[in-house]
Order: sequence, then C-alpha cells, then structure tokens
Amino acid sequence: MKITRMHGAGGKVMQDLIKEVILSNLEKTSVNGGIGLECLDDASTIPIGDKEIVFTVDGHTVKPIFFPGGDIGRLAVCGTVNDLAVMGAKPLALSLSLILPEGFEIEKLDKIMKSINEACKEADVAVITGDTKISNVDDIIISSAGIGIVDKGKAIRDSGMKDGDAIIVSGNIGEHGLAILLSRERFEFDADIKSDVAPLNKMIEMVLNEGIEVHAMKDPTRGGLANALNEMAEKSGLGIDIYEDKIPISEEVQSMADILGIDPLTVANEGKVVMAVKREDAKRCLEILRKHPLGKNAEIIGYATKEHKGVIMETIVGKRIIDTPIGDPIPRVC
Amino acid sequence: MDFIKIHVKGIVQGVGFRPFVYRIAKENNLKGYVKNMGNYVEIVVGGKKEDIEKFIDDLKSKKPPLSKIDDLKIFKLRDEVNFDDFVILDSEETNKEEEGTIPADVAICDECLKEMMDKNDRRYRYPFIACTNCGPRFTIVEKVPYDRENTSMRDFPLCEECLKEYKNPLDRRFHAQATCCPNCGPKVFLTDENGEVLYEKDEAINEAVKLLEEGKILAVKGIGGTHLVCKVNDDEVVLTLRERLGRPSQPFAVTSKLEYLGLFAEYDDEELETLISPKRPIVVLKKNDDYDRYFSKYVSNLDTIGVMLPYSGLHYLLFDKEIAYVMTSANLPGLPMVKDNGEILKKLKGIADYFLLHNRRIINRCDDSVMKKINNRMIFLRRSRGFAPEPIEVDIENNKNILCVGGELNSIACLVKKNKFYLTQYIGNTSKYETFCYLKDAINNIIKITNTNKIDAVVCDMHPLFNSTKFAEELADKGVELFRIQHHHAHAFSLMGDNNYFDDCVIMALDGVGYGLDGNIWGGEIFAWKNNKMERIGHLEEQYQLGGDLATKYPLRMLLGILYKKICEEAIDIIKEYNFFSEKELKIFALQLKKKINCPITTSCGRVLDAISSLLSVTFEKTYDGEPAIRLEALASEYIKRKRIDIEVSPKIKNNILNTTDLVYDCYEMLKNGIDRGSIAYYAHIYIADGLSRIAIKNAEKLDVECIGLSGGVSYNKIISERIRKNVENCGFKFLYHKNVPNGDGGLSFGQGVGYILMNSQ
Ligand SMILES: [Fe+3]
Ligand SMILES: [Mg+2]
Ligand SMILES: [Zn+2]
Ligand SMILES: [Zn+2]
Repeated sequence: MKITRMHGAGGKVMQDLIKEVILSNLEKTSVNGGIGLECLDDASTIPIGDKEIVFTVDGHTVKPIFFPGGDIGRLAVCGTVNDLAVMGAKPLALSLSLILPEGFEIEKLDKIMKSINEACKEADVAVITGDTKISNVDDIIISSAGIGIVDKGKAIRDSGMKDGDAIIVSGNIGEHGLAILLSRERFEFDADIKSDVAPLNKMIEMVLNEGIEVHAMKDPTRGGLANALNEMAEKSGLGIDIYEDKIPISEEVQSMADILGIDPLTVANEGKVVMAVKREDAKRCLEILRKHPLGKNAEIIGYATKEHKGVIMETIVGKRIIDTPIGDPIPRVC
Repeated sequence: MDFIKIHVKGIVQGVGFRPFVYRIAKENNLKGYVKNMGNYVEIVVGGKKEDIEKFIDDLKSKKPPLSKIDDLKIFKLRDEVNFDDFVILDSEETNKEEEGTIPADVAICDECLKEMMDKNDRRYRYPFIACTNCGPRFTIVEKVPYDRENTSMRDFPLCEECLKEYKNPLDRRFHAQATCCPNCGPKVFLTDENGEVLYEKDEAINEAVKLLEEGKILAVKGIGGTHLVCKVNDDEVVLTLRERLGRPSQPFAVTSKLEYLGLFAEYDDEELETLISPKRPIVVLKKNDDYDRYFSKYVSNLDTIGVMLPYSGLHYLLFDKEIAYVMTSANLPGLPMVKDNGEILKKLKGIADYFLLHNRRIINRCDDSVMKKINNRMIFLRRSRGFAPEPIEVDIENNKNILCVGGELNSIACLVKKNKFYLTQYIGNTSKYETFCYLKDAINNIIKITNTNKIDAVVCDMHPLFNSTKFAEELADKGVELFRIQHHHAHAFSLMGDNNYFDDCVIMALDGVGYGLDGNIWGGEIFAWKNNKMERIGHLEEQYQLGGDLATKYPLRMLLGILYKKICEEAIDIIKEYNFFSEKELKIFALQLKKKINCPITTSCGRVLDAISSLLSVTFEKTYDGEPAIRLEALASEYIKRKRIDIEVSPKIKNNILNTTDLVYDCYEMLKNGIDRGSIAYYAHIYIADGLSRIAIKNAEKLDVECIGLSGGVSYNKIISERIRKNVENCGFKFLYHKNVPNGDGGLSFGQGVGYILMNSQ
C-alpha cells in the first residue's frame, strides 16, 4: 500500500497509519515516566525535579506559503507554540529547520523570517537552534520543535476530560482551512476569510493563572473541531454533547462552507483552543477568554457525558453523530 | 390404541392454534395434550389409528387463517400414555436455540368489528377489542413465549368475564393474549396540548371526532405507534400540518373506509385484496378523476395517493362524517415515530392540537407498511407493520446466525438463522442519533424474540461513515466475524434471494447513492453474477456531484455539474436563468467544478433523474428522499395518460457505459425548442430504461444467462422498471423483480445476508 492524499487529511486514516506503521516500530517512546509518544497527545514531557520539560515538533508545508492572515513562517511558530500551550506549558524556545528548494527566492525567505520573528515576539519565545538544507522539494518546508515547561504533574492531557465538563471553544472555527483552500485555488471574490493563525499561549496562561480547572485541552488543527472533540471523547472514554446553535462560526465561513458543501466542523484552525473545563468554572473561564482579543468569540458549545461515547450534536432536526473526519467528504444522502 | 407426539413449527403462537388443536382432537375422539414450547407447539395424542390420521389431516388443512406451519415432525411413542381427556397445558419456557416466531400485528377481524358495533355487546365501541384472530402481537411483546405476562397486556389483569373466555378452549378468545374489555382493559383519553385530560373513554373518542371535523390536528396513539390525523378536504389544516411538521410536499397517507375508496381512487382486485388483508398496509393507488372533489390539493402532489383501511377498532370509531383522514406517522422527518405518552406530549407539542392517548404501553414501535403495484406485483415500499418480525424463507443452506445491519437510509436490519431471514420493522435514517439508537434496540429485540444466543457473523455496508457500519465494527471488536458487502452487490443479492434464484444472471442495481468498490459513489450499476462472483459489467457515465450531498438536496447543482461537462462555462448561464443561486454562488460553482473541489464522482441513476427534474423546473429542493425523481415520474406518467405514444430513443453507449451527459444536454435542447415538459420527462425515463436494458441484454447474451433482474430504489419507478421488464422479456429473458423484500435500501440487510452466505459457500 502507498501513502495517499487521504493519509494527509488528518482524521482516522492518518491515525491508523501512525498506530500501525509508526508507533508499532518504536520500542522506547517515553522518558522518566513522562508523557510519551504513545499517548499521541499534543506534546510529550520529561519530568525533571519538580518540573516537567514539555517537548513537541511540527513539520509545515502549506500551499500557498503566503495566504490571507499569515504565511508558513507564522504558521510554523504558532503550530509549535500552541501544541505546548494546550499542554498547559509555558513555551520557552523553538528550533527551526528549513528545507528549501533550489531556486527559492531569497526575498521570500526574508519575508518568512521576519514573520517568524514577529510571531515569536507575540508568543514570547526564542528560536535557539536551527538548520538549513537545500533539497529537491517542491516548496519550502519548515519543521520546528518546541520546548516548554510545566509544574510536575500539571500537564493537561487530551484524556483528562471528566463527566459533566463544559466544552469551550475559544472562537470562530473553520477560518484557517477555508482561507488556505480559497487562496490555493485562487478563488477570487469579496468575502474576506482570513487564517486565524495565532499563538495561544498568552490567552491560555490567563485562564490557568486564574485557577480555572481545565481538565483537557486541544488545538483543533487538522480534522478541525470534529477531530479534536472525537479525540478528547475517545481518550477519556466519555461522550460529548454539543449544540449546533452554540458553535461560533463567522457568517462568511458558514456561507462559504454552505456553498462548497464542506462541513466547517472538519476544517482546520490554527488559533483556537478547545477546553474541557470543570462545569462550575465554565462561566468564569468564558469571561476570561472573552477579555483576550483571540478569545472574544469564545462559547460553551456543550458538555461531556457518560451517557454515550462519541460526539453528538443537537440540531433543530434531531441529533447528529459527529464523526472523526476521514479525509474528503463522501456523499451518503440518497 | 396408538400414541404419537407432534412438533409443529411456524406461526403457531397467538393465532388460535392451540384451541384449534383442542377442537380437532375432540372432534376425532383423541386424548392427550397440546402445549406451547416457546418456539414450537408440542402435541401428544392417543387414539385409534384412523382418528389420528384424520387428526393430522385436519391439522394441515383446517388450520387457523393466521397460522402457518413451516415444519411438522411426527414421532411414534412406544409407551402408552394415560389421559382422561384432551387438555391444553401451560406454556413452557425453552432455552434451546430454536427458531420461533412472534406473529406480526393483525388488523381487527370481522367478528370483533361486528361485536364492537353491536349495542348489546359488552365490548360495544370498545376500541381495544381483540381475539385470537386479530389485534396486536409484535408491538406489545417483550419476550418469548408469546404469553400475556410477556406482553404489555400484563398491566391489565383479566376481569372475571374475560378470564372465562380466555380459559374456554371453545371460545374465540381462548388464550387470546390481547383480549380485554371495558372493565379490565386499557382506556383511551383525550388531552389538550399540556397533557390535561379533557375526556375519557367513549366521550374522548366522540370529542376527538368532533375536533377532527372542526379541522383540528390530533395525535392519535394507536397500536404500534402514533399518527397525526386531520381532515383531507381542508387546505388550511393540511397546510398547517405540513408547516408544523416541516414537511412541505411529501404526500400524506390517508385512511378511508372500503365503501368510500372508489370515490377518489382507482384500484384492481389485487390492490383491493392487499388493502383489506389482515396485514392492512398502506397501498399507493392512482387517483381517479373525482379525487379533487374530496381532497385538498396539499395532501398529495403526485398522481397517486397512499391509502390504508382502518386496522384497529379505534380507527373505525374515528369515522363519522368524513370519508378519509390524513393519517401520517407522528415523527419529525428522519426521527423514529413517538410511542410513549410522555414523549408524545413533549415531542408533538406545537404540532398536534389535541392528543387521543391510551394507557397501554407500546413495546415495539412499528410503522405502517407501504405497498404499490409495479410490474403487475404488489411491491414493498416499506415492510413493517403486519409483516415484521415474521421471517422470509430462502432456499439456501446456512448454519450460522448472521446479523446484517443494512445501510443508512430506510434502514431495516436482518437476522439470518438457517434459511430464515428475520427482517426487523422499519427503522429509518440511521444517520440521526435517535434513529441509530432505535436500530440498536430493534436488533437487540429481534435477537431476543428469536431466542438467539450467539451471533456468528455481522455484515455491513462498505460506506466508511455509516453508523450501522460502526455498530458492526463494534460487534467485531467483541470477536464476531465482520464481513462487508458493497451496497449494490447487496441490492443484487437481495433480488436473487427474493426470487430464490442463484444461477448465473445479470442484475441492474439502480438507486441514489452507495459507496463503490473504487471509492466513488455508485448508483447505476449492471452486474454479472458468475462463478460465485459479482462483477461490474456496465454502469451509467461518471458525473461530478457538485458540493457532494448538497447536489442531492439541490438538484440544479447536479444539472450544472453535468452540463458543465458538455459546455463548460456556458452551463453557468443556463443555471443562472433559474434564479435559484446568487451570482456569488455561481461564480464559486464554476471554480469548484474547474478545480474539482468537493465534486465527488458518481454513477448514480437517481442523481441523473434529479438533474432532469430540476431542468424541467419540477423540483429545485429535495424535501424528502427521492422527491425530484418521484415528481419527475409523476410528470411523465401524467404525460403518458394524456398522449399514449411510443417513442424511439437511441441511447448512446460506449464500453458498456451509458452516456448521461448527452441525455441531459438533449433534454435541455428539447426544452429550449419548446417541447412539452412531460414529453421530455418521459423521454428521459425511456432513455435510461432502454440504455441500461441494452447493456444488460447484450451482456446476458454474451454470458449465456437466462435471467436479467432489476433492484434498487430507482426500480420503484414504474415507467423505468416496467419498460426494462418489457425490453428484457421481449428479448426472451426471464425478468427478476422483487416480491417479499423491499426494492430499495430497506432490502439491503436481506441482501447482505444472502450475499454473505453465497460468497462464503464453496
Ligand atoms: Fe441503495
Ligand atoms: Mg492536549
Ligand atoms: Zn377478532
Ligand atoms: Zn374484561
């Protein structure tokens, strides 16, 4: 069997590849009893003294490399920073590995580096190591590892969701994926859909500093909100009930998705966080999030439940099961 | 004296079988007993040889009308057995995994009806009247054996008089599990929308009739479910019901009495026989010329009307002045029908004005069955009340217990044991969580009432997103063998099983959507069954489904996708004329089609009919399954009625693929040239029917097979399926068509079972 486009779309096909081919070939996947690779969490940890080092890596290719709302440089920084942030860690430093194709314009590289610098300043992280290679790739590839720190035992896991937790999304969903799709295919029209790519660590820090009990956190990137919720449900052994009318979506995204026939729940985000928060803390958490510019559209979209497994969305026409996306949508209606 | 033991299997419970045995034993001077063993009936008799022979003859020839003997085993007993008399013994619970059958619900019988209308009868106007020949069965049963204490009738202990009848072997109500009377049985009551009881018993019924005649919408809890009921001749109330249900155009079924039927519908003997049969399904009839005098035009916008005769006492009591009522399942589109009082009041608040309820629990909900005469045969549009859970037998060898979970739409599951296929009641669209839960309940229930201890294999569709598939995968995780069968293969197998035909053949499977072996969406497929293999030998041309499922909802998208293939950007201008999409949408569609973003590939027959339906301005938005194609058919058949002409078409076929782009484009040209819309609709039907026939016949000749068959949802289309039949038979082939199993996805689980057995037996 060969790798197909379906493998890259996130969701179940990718998960299976990771489990069956990648994980199964590695023997040692954790250190000092920390969170290891096998957890498939957003990042892993290495306990040292009363702290844990939080470690993650992310490779980025995106077409086009400059898109409305950002570029591959900003995406690389935010992707890595956010993986650390949703572990409840304070991001400290990044590595930067650049693979450039022959013929890549140096002005473009300069622009990307300036954008990286800008994003690092926003996130308050340093690039402390790096590597540059020239190879026969199609376009620039940026891979970035990140290191953060968290108090021992305080890392927030995907699996930590508890029965009754409120599920909070920090803002409008579906923007990044649609913006990329539209600019890649050169859809030209007036609706402005921009990528939401942004570092979330400051906003998450505000929430955690206020003592909000966050049981689980994810950034809903590939596979979108649908994928993130399903992972949280599956890893905690619980179900999630969400309400369609509570899910924050901008009008532009909704109408574009309606035209294309794409479910915004399955579209990638790069500047949003999903939290499972102790129910009593949910309102306060929402207030804190909404004070931050990145969280102004935050909503409680539903609750964790032990009544069923999986993710169920209540709509005006009954309850819909929200699946882990499997790549491109497949017609099922007769 | 001889002594013998007889085991009788089949439909022998709840149909007056034991009193019948008692009667014929007495008549033949035999002694002994009859006993219900849960899954079969045991009879032991002693007497003269010739009396016993006569007894066995009677057993076979005089059995009660609702009973059915599948298997009769006779054992000679060596030892003498001493009996003083012939007796009926209590039921015995058996754990043995033997196939047993809970009978389906039966419409009120003539005798009960007569008693109910008799002023001097103690059950005068009592709607729950029942006897061994009639009344609820499946819908009130919790477990086997079918005894009163295993049904929801256990909430109603028999009064003295009823008990006397119940215990008297010569009474029509001997061991009639659903028997009761006004003193001991369930009661009806009428409530307002807040659940406040306004009237009880007969007063409630009288008041309900009055309210209906005044033009109110009532929720009426019946035997196996709940109906929404209103007048048929009042535009306002019919439209109100449509609005409240969010069901803008799907035809409503109506209930009427036999004597009124001829006023508004056409029917032949077979349709009449089906209508009055104890199974009492809805039968889709042709409207007659006077129809409009009695019915609001909002009841059905097709050339047909679904009619059901009353099947319960309550239904009869609702008739006074009106000749018919709208009687539609009380559910929101896609969700299961409501059945519990609290749920009825909650879910139908704002939909019904009043509620006519009763205090008997519905254990298994069971929607009305729907049948239609196509190809000179009564065909199941939906197989449920009156039929479920009685098994369909197939001449096939099998020793496994196979659970088949079906597809997603119009779902019915099926449990196969030996050669018996137990189809569940109609479930519905399992993409909805509530309906998916109902599917699981129905599966658990069919396992329970067939006394099944283990499942050897579970069969599902190949669509990776179907909930039914996920349910099958969960079972597989527990160690059950999992087998996947392609959707249209299952349709073909279903047709073969339904006809007991397993030799090589060619089968067309035509429908709206099914996940294909190549990952594309199939729906216009021709297969050859040869050497135990199903091979795809032809199909409709591949088209782009613009926006995926949205193209099903908005058929103009499908039309655009097809025309774009022929004339590119020009197609946008054609679609623009319909004023349905905004400039922005059209601009994006053009890019979407150019870049093939969310434009899955489909060979669906339904989608082509949809496209033409929108081309002819018949349907721009699908509000129920198959609507664009169904209304296109209505347009075409109205045209045939006007002008009986035979048209010649020359379908374009290349490499066994039927060209649909040119079909659609030609229809567009005809429309532009001012040709009658009805005639274009008819042309499209004939093009598809003749084109597919041609491919099938050519291959059938090449493969030297005798039969050509037709299955799938599109085969409900009378024009297409009757034309294909004519083509096939004219060329000397035998035509395979459905009989006992629904053509559409309701027959999928049955086909999965047949396919599993065929593909695993060699
Ligand atoms: Fe189908
Ligand atoms: Mg996490
Ligand atoms: Zn009766
Ligand atoms: Zn009584």
